[in-house]
Amino acid sequence: MTNRCVRLLLDFDACAQRDSGQDSVFLHRRDRKFALTCEEQGEKPTSKRWMAYINRFNDAEAESRQALQTLRSWRRINSSFVAFGTLFGILSMLGLLFYDGGQRINITVIIAFVAFQLLLALFTTVQSLAGWQPWRLVLRRFQKNAPNDIKTKLQPVLMAKAAQLGGLCFAFAGLLTLLTMVLLQDLAFGWSTTLETDAQAYHRFIGIVAAPWAWLWPLAAPDLALVEATRFFRASSPDTNINPALWGQWWPFIAMLWTTWTLLPRAILYFTAGLIVERKARRLLATHPAAAALQYRMQTPTLETGNEHNDSVDLPDISQQFALSPLPNARVLLTWAGAHDTALPQTLNADKMVVAKVGGSMTLVDDRNTVAKVASALSKKSSSISDTKSKTKAQKPYEYTVKTPKSEDKKAQASGQEAQESAAYKPSATTSTILKTSLKADDHNVLLVTHSWEPPTGELEDFIANAYKNWPKTAHIVIVPVATNLQREPQPHHVQQWLRFANRTLPDFVSVSLLPTDEVSSVLQDIQHE
Amino acid sequence: MNSAPNFAVVGHPNKGKSSIVATLSQNDAIAIALEPGTTRSSQSYPLSVDGKILYTLVDTPGFQRPRKVLEWLEAHSVSASDHSDTLKAFVGQHKDDERFTDECELLQPLIEGAGIIYVVDGSVPYSAQHEAEMTILRWTGRPSLALINTIGLEDYSDTWQAALGQFFQVVRKFNAVRAPFEQHLSLLRAFGQLEPQWEKTLNQATQYLSKQRQQRRSQSASIVAKALSDMMSYQEKRTFAQHENVSSDSDQGELAGKLSKCWYEHQREREQSLRKSIEHLYQHQRIRRQETELNWHSAQDLFSQDSRQQWAVSRRYLVTAGFGAGAIGGVSIDALTFGASLGTGALLGGFMGAAGSYYYGAKLLSPALKIASFGKGLTTAMFGPVQDSQFAYIVLGRAVDHWWHISHRNHAGRDLLDLVQGDNHWIEGLDKDSRRSIQRTLDKIRKQQPTDESLQQRFTEAVQECLAVYEKWRADKA
Repeated sequence: MTNRCVRLLLDFDACAQRDSGQDSVFLHRRDRKFALTCEEQGEKPTSKRWMAYINRFNDAEAESRQALQTLRSWRRINSSFVAFGTLFGILSMLGLLFYDGGQRINITVIIAFVAFQLLLALFTTVQSLAGWQPWRLVLRRFQKNAPNDIKTKLQPVLMAKAAQLGGLCFAFAGLLTLLTMVLLQDLAFGWSTTLETDAQAYHRFIGIVAAPWAWLWPLAAPDLALVEATRFFRASSPDTNINPALWGQWWPFIAMLWTTWTLLPRAILYFTAGLIVERKARRLLATHPAAAALQYRMQTPTLETGNEHNDSVDLPDISQQFALSPLPNARVLLTWAGAHDTALPQTLNADKMVVAKVGGSMTLVDDRNTVAKVASALSKKSSSISDTKSKTKAQKPYEYTVKTPKSEDKKAQASGQEAQESAAYKPSATTSTILKTSLKADDHNVLLVTHSWEPPTGELEDFIANAYKNWPKTAHIVIVPVATNLQREPQPHHVQQWLRFANRTLPDFVSVSLLPTDEVSSVLQDIQHE
Repeated sequence: MNSAPNFAVVGHPNKGKSSIVATLSQNDAIAIALEPGTTRSSQSYPLSVDGKILYTLVDTPGFQRPRKVLEWLEAHSVSASDHSDTLKAFVGQHKDDERFTDECELLQPLIEGAGIIYVVDGSVPYSAQHEAEMTILRWTGRPSLALINTIGLEDYSDTWQAALGQFFQVVRKFNAVRAPFEQHLSLLRAFGQLEPQWEKTLNQATQYLSKQRQQRRSQSASIVAKALSDMMSYQEKRTFAQHENVSSDSDQGELAGKLSKCWYEHQREREQSLRKSIEHLYQHQRIRRQETELNWHSAQDLFSQDSRQQWAVSRRYLVTAGFGAGAIGGVSIDALTFGASLGTGALLGGFMGAAGSYYYGAKLLSPALKIASFGKGLTTAMFGPVQDSQFAYIVLGRAVDHWWHISHRNHAGRDLLDLVQGDNHWIEGLDKDSRRSIQRTLDKIRKQQPTDESLQQRFTEAVQECLAVYEKWRADKA
């Protein structure tokens, strides 16, 4: 029974250790499933069942081996105590009964020895209950287990049980030696003490000691006459008037004294130690940190929030960066999906053949009509603008500096995210020249203003495809994404989404430009004045 | 029949639909990017309790051609009563049409009875250009809720709220990256209000989520307490033959150097494993990927002077906590004398505890090298356990801070963690009992004495109290 409890505890501890590296969500799911299965079958989810359940598909031998090893080592310790106890029991009794024929065997000494044994037995029990281990400092140097290890916690009670077993063997061996000596030798017992004690007082004392068995075996409770007759003094010569048989009449008392006050207490305490081990094992199992966690896992429903799906690696490729084109002159201005809501600069609206809204709240029919209208306007101009297109395309584009920074941006690049935000569209040194050239050129371009923050959709793609189909081959769409505040440039990641869109749609037909801000605006103003 | 409600998160592309789903489903492995078209097919995220689904969130791609869809619908509908059937017919007819893949993906769950969660970006100005989308959604006849998710820095949410109110039953603001946990629950309850039969289920779900969060906090405390004990008691050992003479000062110095290096490395690894445990507990599986980018993980090393300055406690704190812890031990002397000592034991224990804490508090990370003969011709050199109780407070401070960041981090968050420098120490708000329990446990570990279950329990409770105190401290700072 005791072993079963300890075995259960050790197996449980081994399972808990095996689980310690596991993911808590997995453990919760597994143990909750076990609890629900038990509930279905009307069974109590005990630790034993739990271990059987989780070990069904596991190699439980490793854990089992670990527990067996521990139990085996304690069995070895117990055997040592048995051997030493037996040996010391025999030797002690032989020592106590040592009789050279000169002196009597002193009953007082035997009583004192028995009392000492009783005291030792009680001390061992108290010590194990208190968990005090005077040998701990010695053991610490040799033990491999951590101080909080379950085996270390079991140590005091298991050690006490082993000690009580040793004591029991000691007592039993002592009794057998006594009986053997009684049988084989002529032992002469007497009593002696330095104290001035009269025989009556000693008899009263003996009576108290013999009380447990006096009613059962009166011969084993010496009477006053025997006590009076068997007192001896070491300094005086032996009293030859006493019947020698009287010296031997003490043996039943000695045998019962040993049995009652040494053997019996040891047997009781050994049995108690077993119960203490069992109780301790049960308590350790109940208070095992893993047991509380297991209890929680079994009692609490598992909550899965839908986090199994993983597509974090399935991201669109945004590593490629594209360059912006300079804003060209154009005679057609289209605003996509409400971009007209933004107050566009006068320079953009002025001198336009066609200004129209497309996308968003406009109908598809409106869009188709606008495409036709623009096609008609561009056809009239197509012959005169064909040269300009090739010129514009040959010009050096604005550099979108995130990918290939200029030297002045390198510092900003180094500081990471912030740099990325700030490293927006920067007109190159030749901005003014390019801009002037562009604006002076004849117009074959269609500006398509969009909200920079709105992503390009399939509808825009359809619109562009329709325009490509219907407009002259020289036509070119320039997407102009604008920010909420025209004084500020759109955010880099917004611009990049338009650049990528243009590149994947019809790169020869579509390009992306930004509205000029500050310096560029002033250039625009100058050109207007000219 | 499974009557669990489904909610399709729909909207224009790139408005944070996936972020909303990531936060509510506590899934940081959902692809989120600033690029439109990141979500190309609908994906379900069920919340289940013991395998029983309570509700399902469906992440969908954004509308690509809403006007075309609406044109088709209008052309094939006779009256308002056939709207949902016409919509079903559209999906049936166009499911293999590449142009309408996204529309079919997002309309399918609505046809199957999902509630509509329409997401807009509140950081950009309101635009009436999405009416075609809203009209299509109205054609489904499903209960709907509009969610204003603020992605950028600007805030136009009030304008959006007023405009969306005309189209949707409920309009809520919800920042997928920054919304605190209470708002997650409140939003889920709002989902439940879309249909009377959904309310109970959604309330149940929020209760489970709330309970899970409480439990995570207490589990975090156990994990931190365990790590703290491990780190404080850790000893780096080397056993070697006695003929390898290490008696000279230089040999011992070299040995101490080697052992201390291993000891420091082990402590750093243990702290990292603690962090991973906390992150996994809160279902943040992807933070590890970002970890190399986290400046404070590398620059603010566990043993750096910065860490010490930021997280170490004052000498006054050490002395008072040490006094309290020592007094508890001294009480046992009074108990033995049945009170005859008139509290002298407690007082004496208190003074000893205070003196010990003061003394060891000054021993900055210097666990001395001990060399002991092991018998059988073997010698063991040991480095640790650390005698400096400040080390424990540094570990505790860093652990609590990391826990706070993780527990308050939404799963849509992809930004880096940051640390704040406090002008006062968070631990000042900790009650006396918790201080004593922590100090007493640390003292026992320092002396390599075993700690019983009740002390371990009190220690874990004290760490849990630390989490609460730190949370309050952060809230006060905000």
